[in-house]
Amino acid sequence: MSEPRRFTPHESGVLLAQFEPIEVDLLRLVTSQLVDLLEDGAADLALAHSDGVFGRLLPDAYHDDDEAAAEFRRFTAPDLLERKTHNAQVVLSTLAAELHEPDPTSTADAADEERQPVTISLDSDAVQAWLRCLTDLRLTLADRLQISPDGVVHLAGDDAPFLRELYEWLGMLQEELVYAIDV
Amino acid sequence: MTKTAEHTELRQDVQLDRPWVTLVWDDPVNLMSYVAYVFRSYFGITPKQAERLMLQVHNNGRAIVAKGNRESMERHVEAMHGYGLWATLAKVDE
Repeated sequence: MSEPRRFTPHESGVLLAQFEPIEVDLLRLVTSQLVDLLEDGAADLALAHSDGVFGRLLPDAYHDDDEAAAEFRRFTAPDLLERKTHNAQVVLSTLAAELHEPDPTSTADAADEERQPVTISLDSDAVQAWLRCLTDLRLTLADRLQISPDGVVHLAGDDAPFLRELYEWLGMLQEELVYAIDV
Repeated sequence: MTKTAEHTELRQDVQLDRPWVTLVWDDPVNLMSYVAYVFRSYFGITPKQAERLMLQVHNNGRAIVAKGNRESMERHVEAMHGYGLWATLAKVDE
């Protein structure tokens, strides 16, 4: 038995994406957290230059030249952070615009409606924002999971299994999205 | 950015023609399918070329994805960082 495809191209040119309500909640939560992080970095560029997670979001552009790397970061970080924030906000706004919103006036069916999968529509700009934002989400999660260059997770503790599952799920989502637009 | 580049070039005018390269490095996070997608959509190369380049990154730990003057390499690196890829620029003979 094959599962229904998550991303389906529509004849109008948009990509339709189907999510379970719990997936929407999860994506909203992690994406909002990413927006907060990026805004903190934009408000305090010194933080953006020091914190480990920003080392992944804004890597050094020069390997053996700290001065050139710092200068490159000074010139590019504000714009990159702004674009990354914009991408995350596009994800949030497309998630908010479900195509089959439950009718807020009907309280009787509300509980049932909420369990139904939701469909959202992504135009080509939104697809680009989603692809990049899923990457940024995975980069920040990889930092929290303390993933070493060989791909091994070093984070221990109660949070680790959930974060790892979330990390892998986001990867699956991104792969499905890449394949859906692969022409 | 421009200023430093100019000063560097003034000091090393003999090496004015030495090209720079953009390198993309292997990282444990980015998916192979996504990296190949970025290469073909950003650099406008064929899926086959993009796949080859992606496998170079994966197998060798890095690949040269562009060659040219410093300014345009910085532009490519910034674009790669926008995609979330780990990219650097360097002088060819470094």
